[in-house]
Amino acid sequence: MIVTKSWLNEWIDLSNITTENLCKTLNAIGLEVDSLTSCNVPKKIIFGRVLECKKHPDADKLNICQVDIGSSVRQIVCGASNVRAGLDVVVATIGAVMPSGLVIKPVKLRGVDSEGMICSASEIGLPDFCPGIMELDSSIGSFELGKELRSNFIFSDDVIEIELTANRGDCLSIYGIARDLSAAYDRPLRNHKRDEDDDNRKGIGRLLHVNHEKDLDVSLNYRVLELKNLRLPFIIKLRLAQIGEDKETDIDALLLYTTHMSGVILKAYNYAFFCEENDVIAKVNLKENENGFACIASRNIASIVGVKQEDISRVTYDEGTILLEASYIPPDIISKKMALTKLEAGPYYYRTSRGSEPDLCSGIADGLELIQAYSSSSVFSGSIGVGSGYDNTLISVTKQDVDETIGANISKVTIGKILKNLGFDMSRSSADSFVVGVPRYRHDIKNKQDIIEEIVRIVGIDNIPSKPFVFTEENKLEDDYFKYKKKSIFRHRAASCGFFESIHFVFDEKKILQKYGFVTIKEELELLNPIIQTLDTLRTTLMTGLLKAASLNVKSGYKQVKLFEVGSIFNENREESLKMAMLFSGDKEKESLQNAGKPQKVDFATFSQKVSDIIGAFDLRETTTTHSLSHIYQAAKIVVNGEVIGELFRVHPEVEKEYDIDATFICEIDFEKIPYTLKTAKKSSKYQSSNRDLSIIIPKDMKFETIKAVINNNASKELINFYPVDKYSDENLGDKVSLSLRFILQSEDKTLEEDDITSSMDAILNALDKELGIGLR
Amino acid sequence: MVTLLKEWYEKIKEAQSVDSLEEIRISVFGKKGVLAAEFAKMRIYTTDEEKAKIAKELNEHKSALMNEFTIRKITLQTLELQEAMKAEAIDVSLYSTSSQVGALHPVMETMDRIVEYFSSMNFAVKTGNMVEDDFNNFEALNLPKYHPARDMQDTFYFKDELLLRTHTSPVQIRTMMNTQPPIRMIAPGAVFRRDYDLTHTPMFHQVEGLLVDEAGKVSFANLKYILEDFLKYMFGDIQVRFRPSFFPFTEPSAEVDISCVFCKAKGCRVCSKTGWLEVLGCGIVDPNVFEAVKYKNVSGYAFGLGVERFAMLIHQIGDLRSLFEGDIKLLEQFQ
Repeated sequence: MIVTKSWLNEWIDLSNITTENLCKTLNAIGLEVDSLTSCNVPKKIIFGRVLECKKHPDADKLNICQVDIGSSVRQIVCGASNVRAGLDVVVATIGAVMPSGLVIKPVKLRGVDSEGMICSASEIGLPDFCPGIMELDSSIGSFELGKELRSNFIFSDDVIEIELTANRGDCLSIYGIARDLSAAYDRPLRNHKRDEDDDNRKGIGRLLHVNHEKDLDVSLNYRVLELKNLRLPFIIKLRLAQIGEDKETDIDALLLYTTHMSGVILKAYNYAFFCEENDVIAKVNLKENENGFACIASRNIASIVGVKQEDISRVTYDEGTILLEASYIPPDIISKKMALTKLEAGPYYYRTSRGSEPDLCSGIADGLELIQAYSSSSVFSGSIGVGSGYDNTLISVTKQDVDETIGANISKVTIGKILKNLGFDMSRSSADSFVVGVPRYRHDIKNKQDIIEEIVRIVGIDNIPSKPFVFTEENKLEDDYFKYKKKSIFRHRAASCGFFESIHFVFDEKKILQKYGFVTIKEELELLNPIIQTLDTLRTTLMTGLLKAASLNVKSGYKQVKLFEVGSIFNENREESLKMAMLFSGDKEKESLQNAGKPQKVDFATFSQKVSDIIGAFDLRETTTTHSLSHIYQAAKIVVNGEVIGELFRVHPEVEKEYDIDATFICEIDFEKIPYTLKTAKKSSKYQSSNRDLSIIIPKDMKFETIKAVINNNASKELINFYPVDKYSDENLGDKVSLSLRFILQSEDKTLEEDDITSSMDAILNALDKELGIGLR
Repeated sequence: MVTLLKEWYEKIKEAQSVDSLEEIRISVFGKKGVLAAEFAKMRIYTTDEEKAKIAKELNEHKSALMNEFTIRKITLQTLELQEAMKAEAIDVSLYSTSSQVGALHPVMETMDRIVEYFSSMNFAVKTGNMVEDDFNNFEALNLPKYHPARDMQDTFYFKDELLLRTHTSPVQIRTMMNTQPPIRMIAPGAVFRRDYDLTHTPMFHQVEGLLVDEAGKVSFANLKYILEDFLKYMFGDIQVRFRPSFFPFTEPSAEVDISCVFCKAKGCRVCSKTGWLEVLGCGIVDPNVFEAVKYKNVSGYAFGLGVERFAMLIHQIGDLRSLFEGDIKLLEQFQ
């Protein structure tokens, strides 16, 4: 909603209020100032009058003008097609610096002296609203020739754009905002005396009949006039440009101006549209159409109340009879109807859905005042109105209610004054309680809280002292808090292990997920209105997002990509669960002296170690993934305490190629299953431990997990740990390999002797031989 | 004897290495060494007196030589250690290194700090599902189906009429449906709006807060207090300004601005020359919301903030969309 300070000043006296104060106040009462543009016409640009105007002898398009600039008469050459004698114009005199930077100097144009420039709107920094030079008139107020434009309110104006909240339809007009400012500044609005009906004019009753079938909850008011010689004055043209509006016909432009000013919806109809063949009287029918909308019609529909006006009913002529209509429909009624049956809405729907000004008589009177001021039209006396009466909503509120909600002591006098200034009817209030009559234009005020909000915003929220809240201690550390904490701890661990936390949208591309063999959301549970095709479903894995990110980073030149994400995924039933995924791609470490600038690529062992550094110890078992992202022979399931909690694998070389990335490893883990509990200390032995290394010959394709299982089943309690330390093969071994294992033995009761160790190791060797046919090297 | 031993004193003092000193030790103190030989020569002396005299002399020499030997050995060992260390000298400046540590995402880390503040202020942390229904996301929050305020939100719907939550308010509704007041909680999490341009992403993060207590106890002044304290905690020394506004679920409502952190409220591109940055929405909970969750005789306040907004202001990140690309160029700046 765009307003100008001079325009507001026509409704409320702002002469002693700075623009800074005005903006601060608007913000403080809840009318947010989005932008402020100050019109600053430079010095030495003055009012002038063209006394004479002759064609330039040597140039078709130029005119030689004698311009009265008060103190003297100057000769100015002007190229505009609309310059003529008798015009009041804007003259940039010698020495003026235009907004464009141009400095006005005496020049010769085609050999003729010119001392100054007659200006167009854009030349002095105004919006471009008329072709050629500006033609001033009395609408800008009185002015003296030779005086600087800056001294006139219209030319030193401020254009303020206000962002209104959806509930403040009453502020969609200059009048409405002035009304709010009246409460904020505690000063009355200016008295707008409106012309009483002149009984000498012909009456409307002979020209118009309005029928309505039934009560349709709309308010209408009609006037009829004979339009003649309408000329839009300077100020209306300027202001329409300042609010960014444009209309094809002058009458529509003037009515738009009136609507912006008063808030009342005004329409001009072609009078003949409502006259049947050979009839002189216009017959307007207010009826309901098949969708339940109230319509204005004769044989055809002229407009749908609150929605739009049909083109066929518009006024396309400059002279003739016009039917003028002011209308109002309660905003919740029209919004509800439009939500059910989505009609194409006209430009006024923005206003009607938020609640336009219900005081139709004053709006129409404002419009007629302007028409009569700027044309030689004649207005028929009387008006015809349709609509039921309206009883103000009554809301009771006590001082205690106000004080408790706001948290301060607001005096009764202040409360009463604020509400009265806002236009509320306080006549029913008593000493102890306020019974507030809420006018129709504040349809957003329905209950006590709404009244209290009015009070607090006019008092000013910043003027309320803050108060700490007193409450009873209570343990607030619950499940969700601990879940959040666990997440935080593992994210920190991943970061300290060198991974960067990545966040992706919870959306993914269904096509891609399916391509790689991931389940996708069941069709009947899918998104109805995705925003783009690449985000047309919910993700069922974190891995595709991480691969995309890896690709992006490699393109940016990163030789090593280490990313992690802890985020939600969905299963085919759209059930949400939390996963943690890590991706490691490219170089194992940064280039450095140690690796002579040629670090190796990350490998399975390095990646697994990193993952373990983050989530703790785990076993890896060979697996085949259900999706096709993994290298067939380097895929594992992650097992903790006998339970599968995730998977870890090298990415399939074809996928690496598709994403244009180097050797890449990924893991994805069920976050809930990552162990995170208090540990209990175990008794440790104070006796020395012993190592034994054994090298066993195993078939090439035998998995360590098989050997591990046998050893675990046959180990004595003195075996506290064992792990592989070397794997060796050569031609002599043929299709077998030599696997060296280190065994750590320790007893709780004594230092183990050679015999004890030997018997433990023998038991293991026997088992390996018997169950797997494996022997020492 | 003295002349012979004197030679060894010199040799000890002039030994050049621990190894050659060891050789001297063997020569002097060993079983077949000089001192042993001298002690053996004592046989030729017959009287005990004479023997005692020689023995005493020899022992004195032995002690003195031992002393010299020890001194020289320590000296040589020290020198040799010095040499060894020098040989291990490295140019430390070659090893100035950039960190290989990773980093937490600035948005998630900002959320952590916000959660940390409120949990220290005794607010419970509650989370909930991203997939929600119309009642918990809209209706219970005083947004009936045809309300124009629904214009403000473009929503992702599923074919079975559920939706992706547009704010974390559903978590608060569900909490109120499942517990009795007083309530003191925050709900952090991902939320979804159907918008994707320079300043909007289809997913972003919010933290919403809710306080509910007996009727008449919770006021706007209380709301001001906690939010002013919170904003100063997050942004440091800034001014806070409240502007009346409109939300369907609170009445009175306000939007909260902080003085622009970039230009110190002088006016710049980031704050559109106003000197203020909008960071929060808040208000007194609308009675219709309490009605929907069947709470009676209560009062409460609620507030909500966008985590990305906070992260971008605090860390001066210019492009919202860059936060969701896993771009290390951005992430590594938060090591």
